[in-house]
Amino acid sequence: MADSPLYAGFDLGTSNSAAAIFDGDQVTVIRNAQGGAVTPSVVRLDKAGRVTVGARARRMLEQDPANTATEFKRLMGTGRAIEFPAAGVSRSPEALSAEVLKALRADIADQRGVEIARAVISVPALFELPQSAATSEAARLAGFERVELLQEPIASALAAGWREDQGGAWLVYDLGGGTFDVSLLETRDGLLRVVGHDGDNFLGGRDFDWAITELCATKLGGRLARANPAHANALRTLRLAAEDAKIELSRSPRAQVSLQGPLVIDGDELEVDLELTRDEVEAACRPLVERSLEVCLRLLANHGLAAGGIAKVVLVGGPTVMPMVRAAVAARLDAAVADGLDPMTLVAQGAALYAATAGLDGRAAKSTTGSTGRRVWLQYPAVSSDLTPHVVGRFVGGAPPASVTLARGDGGWRGTPASVSPDGGFITTVTLVPRKAQQFTIEAVDAAGATLEVEPPSFTIVQGVTIGDPPLPRAIGVALASNGVQVYFERGAPLPARRTFRHKTVETVAKGGTGSVLKIPIVQGELAHAHLCRLVGTLEIPGAEIKDTVPVGSTVEVTIELDRGGRMAARALVPVIDQVFERVVHLLVPEADPAALDASIADLRRRLQAARLDSFQRRQVQAIERLDKIEARLAEAEKDIDAAHGGDADAAQKARRGLLEVDATLAEVELAHQWPQLENEARSIAIIATSQIGAYGSDAEKKLLDEVLAAIDAARAAKDPAELERQVHLARRLATAAYQRNPAAWENYFDDAASEVSTSTDLPKAEQLVKDGKAAIDRGDTEALKRIVRGLWDLQPIDVAARRMSFDSGVR
Amino acid sequence: MSAEARLGDNPLLVLGLGLGATRMEVERQAQLLLGMLELGFPDAATYPSPLGPRPRTPDLVRAAAAALRDPGQRLQAELWFVPADASGDRTPTPETSSPPSTSTSDSRTESIWTDALARLGWGPAREAR
Repeated sequence: MADSPLYAGFDLGTSNSAAAIFDGDQVTVIRNAQGGAVTPSVVRLDKAGRVTVGARARRMLEQDPANTATEFKRLMGTGRAIEFPAAGVSRSPEALSAEVLKALRADIADQRGVEIARAVISVPALFELPQSAATSEAARLAGFERVELLQEPIASALAAGWREDQGGAWLVYDLGGGTFDVSLLETRDGLLRVVGHDGDNFLGGRDFDWAITELCATKLGGRLARANPAHANALRTLRLAAEDAKIELSRSPRAQVSLQGPLVIDGDELEVDLELTRDEVEAACRPLVERSLEVCLRLLANHGLAAGGIAKVVLVGGPTVMPMVRAAVAARLDAAVADGLDPMTLVAQGAALYAATAGLDGRAAKSTTGSTGRRVWLQYPAVSSDLTPHVVGRFVGGAPPASVTLARGDGGWRGTPASVSPDGGFITTVTLVPRKAQQFTIEAVDAAGATLEVEPPSFTIVQGVTIGDPPLPRAIGVALASNGVQVYFERGAPLPARRTFRHKTVETVAKGGTGSVLKIPIVQGELAHAHLCRLVGTLEIPGAEIKDTVPVGSTVEVTIELDRGGRMAARALVPVIDQVFERVVHLLVPEADPAALDASIADLRRRLQAARLDSFQRRQVQAIERLDKIEARLAEAEKDIDAAHGGDADAAQKARRGLLEVDATLAEVELAHQWPQLENEARSIAIIATSQIGAYGSDAEKKLLDEVLAAIDAARAAKDPAELERQVHLARRLATAAYQRNPAAWENYFDDAASEVSTSTDLPKAEQLVKDGKAAIDRGDTEALKRIVRGLWDLQPIDVAARRMSFDSGVR
Repeated sequence: MSAEARLGDNPLLVLGLGLGATRMEVERQAQLLLGMLELGFPDAATYPSPLGPRPRTPDLVRAAAAALRDPGQRLQAELWFVPADASGDRTPTPETSSPPSTSTSDSRTESIWTDALARLGWGPAREAR
C-alpha cells in the first residue's frame, strides 16, 4: 500500500463515468481495461445473473436492450426498479450505479494497487435531496467506507482552476448526458468562490440524441412515435445510431446512419440508410443550445453581469465537443472558450482534487491499535491556498509533552517549538512550498527535553487553489399547514449547515392511533407557496410510536442538518412527551403518473388561457411574451407525457418537473395581474408601518423601515410583483413588532381571538384560555395575556384546502 | 435579519477580525477557529460583541467566512460593524496565532462608531450587557 495519501474522485455520469486520482502533485485519469478514459454508464445482466459494465455492456444495448440498462442516473431516487427479464431479477438505479462505481474502483486497484475505500463522487448541482441520498446509497452498495458528494460544476471549476490562479469571473458550462449546469466563479488570491449557479435538471446530451433521432424518424416517413410502446425497441436502435452520427458530425460535415438489420415498425420491415448533414443536425439541436444559453444569461443577469462580462468559459461534458455548441457559447456569451481541458474527465479530476481538500484519503482508515506513541488529534487544512496555515492539535491520554516542533519533510523548513498547554492543546503554523504536497513530521519533547513518540508521527498538506464551503443550490424549508414555507436554509447557504425552528402542531396525534400521523414535509425551492416547491422528504410522528397523546398546539422543534454534499438528516423533538423522531420517510422523487400528468397539464392549459385573455385585455406585452414561453414549455411537456404513456419513466419525471416550473411561472403572471390590488396593499401597509413604528418603534426599526420602503419603491418602479409581495410582508412584520409595544395591543389581539373561539380546534381548551385571558386583563398581567393569546392563535383552524396543497403538513 | 443579529452576529466579530481584514486573513482565521472549536479549545467558544459575549459555533464561523467571501455581504458586514468594547472580554488568541489583524480594537473604527449603539436604539455597549 502506498505510504502517501491517494485521493480518488468519481464522476458518475448519465451516459459515461470516469475516475481520477490525485497524489498531491499530479491528477491522473484512470483508464479502464479497454484503455478508455471514460466508461459508459451501462450495465447488463445476462441469464446467469452475470454483470457486465461499460463498453462491453454498451455493445449489447442494440442486441439485448431488455437486459441492458443505461441512463439509470436519471431515475436515481425515484424508487423505480429496472427489470432484467433474462435473469428474472430487478435492480434499483442505485444498485446499477453501484456496479459502475465498483468497475471504476477495480480499475484503480488494477493500476495503483490500492482498494479505494473513501472518495468523492460528483452529483449535478441541481440534484434534489432524494437524488443525492440515492447516490450515497449507491456508494454504500459499492462497498465504500465513506464518500462525500460534490456538485459537478465545483469539481470542474476546481480542475480548471487548479494549475492557474488567474483572477476574475469565469463560467463553467457543463452539458452532461442528462443535466445542464452553469456556474459563475471567481478566483482571487488562490481562493475559488462559487458566485452562483443555475441549470436545467432535464437538459442534456440525451435530448440532443432524441432531437437527432426524431430528425431520422421524420426522414424515415414519420411512422415512429415515442408515445407508442410498440415502437420503443425500434426507437432505441435508431437512437444509438443517431448518437454515433452525432459524434461523427463533430469531426466531419456528413455522416451516414445505417443499421445492420431492418427496423420493424408495426410489423413492417424498414431498411435504414440515411445521410445526415451537420447543418441539419445543428438546426435540430439549436433550440436546445439556445435553451442552455438562456440559462447562462439569466445567471449572469442575476449577478449584475451581461455577455462579455466574463474572462473565459470552461466547457464540460460530451455534447460540448460539437463545434456548433462551442461556437454558439463563445458568440452569445462573448467570451473565450478555455483550451486544453478534457471536457469528458474534468469533473472526475476535480472530484479527486476535492477529496484532498476534504482530507479524504482514499485508503482505508489505518488502525492505531498497538501504537505506543502519544495520540494527538490534529486540525489542519489538507489543501491550503495560504502559504502559512495554522495547525491546531490536542494530545489525548497520558501526560502531554512540554512542546512540539513541526518540520517539513524536504528539510527546507523547521518551525519554532510550540508549547503544549497542561490540557494538551497547542497551536502553531507551518510554511508551505507553492503548488506541492508536503509532509510534516511532529517532534514532541517532555519537560526534560526527552523525545516522545507521537501517533500519527506526520501529516501532509497540499498547497494549491482551494474552494470555500460549497453553496446550497436550492433553498430548503418546512411546508406549513397554511401552504407557506418556513425557510431553514436560503439558496447559497454554505454547507455543512444545521438549523432548528419551533413549530406548533395543528391537530392532536392520539397515542396508539394507527392511522394518526403528524407530517412535517420538507421542501426544496425558492417559492413562497409550499405546493410550488418540491417535496423531498417527510418527517413523521406516528400515533403508534408516541409515548403519550400530543395535543393540538404542542411545540415541535425541528432540526434539519445538511452535510457538505447536501445530504440531509432531520429530526423532530416533541418536548411535551420528551420524544425524538428521526425517520424521514418518502425521501424519493415523487412518482409521475401519466394520468395525473394529463390532468395537471389540462389544468395548466385552462389557467394559461385565462391568463392570456387577461393579459390581452390589459395590453401587457411582457406578460404575453412570458405566456408564449409557457406555451412552448407546455408543448414540450406534452411530448414528454406522450413518451410517458409509452412507458418512458424518465420522460415522465421530466414532464413532472417541467409542469411544476410552468405552474410557478404562471403563478407569477397571475400575481402580476393583481398589480393594482398589490400596489394598494403596499400603500396602506406603508402608512400603517410608518405610523406604528413612528409611535412605538426603536431607532433601528426606523432605519430598517426606511430600507424596506425604499425596496417597495424599487419593486413598484420595476413592476416586480413577487418582490413587492416580499417587501410588503417585511413591512407588515416590522409594523406588527412595533404595534406589539402598544400597551393596548395584546388586549386588542385577545378580543379578536376570543371572538373566533367557536371555530377553535379544541373548544374546551380555547374557552378556558378565554376565561384565563379575562382574568389576566383584570390583574394587568400582560405577560400572561401574551401567552394566552398565542395559545388561542395556535388553536385557530387551518384552511383544509391550503393544508392539502402543502403536502398535508401538520405544523404551523 | 434582525438588527440584533446584524450587530451581534456580524461576521467580522464572529471571526474576531477588524474592518481591514484581507480575504486571506478571513480564510486563515476561519480555519484556525474551526480547528480550535473542533478540538474543544475554550478560548474559541465565545466572542465579544457590542451586545455582550456570544457563543461561537462551527456553523457560525463557516457562515461568517462565506459571508465575507461575498463582496455584497462583506459590505453589509462592514456597514453594520460595531467593535466590541475595547476593555471588555475579547477572544484570547493564543500567542502563536495572533496575527495583528485579529485584534478587534481597531482605534480607527472605534472613533467612527462610538455612538452607533445609541443611534441604533441599544444604548452604550456596557449598558447592553
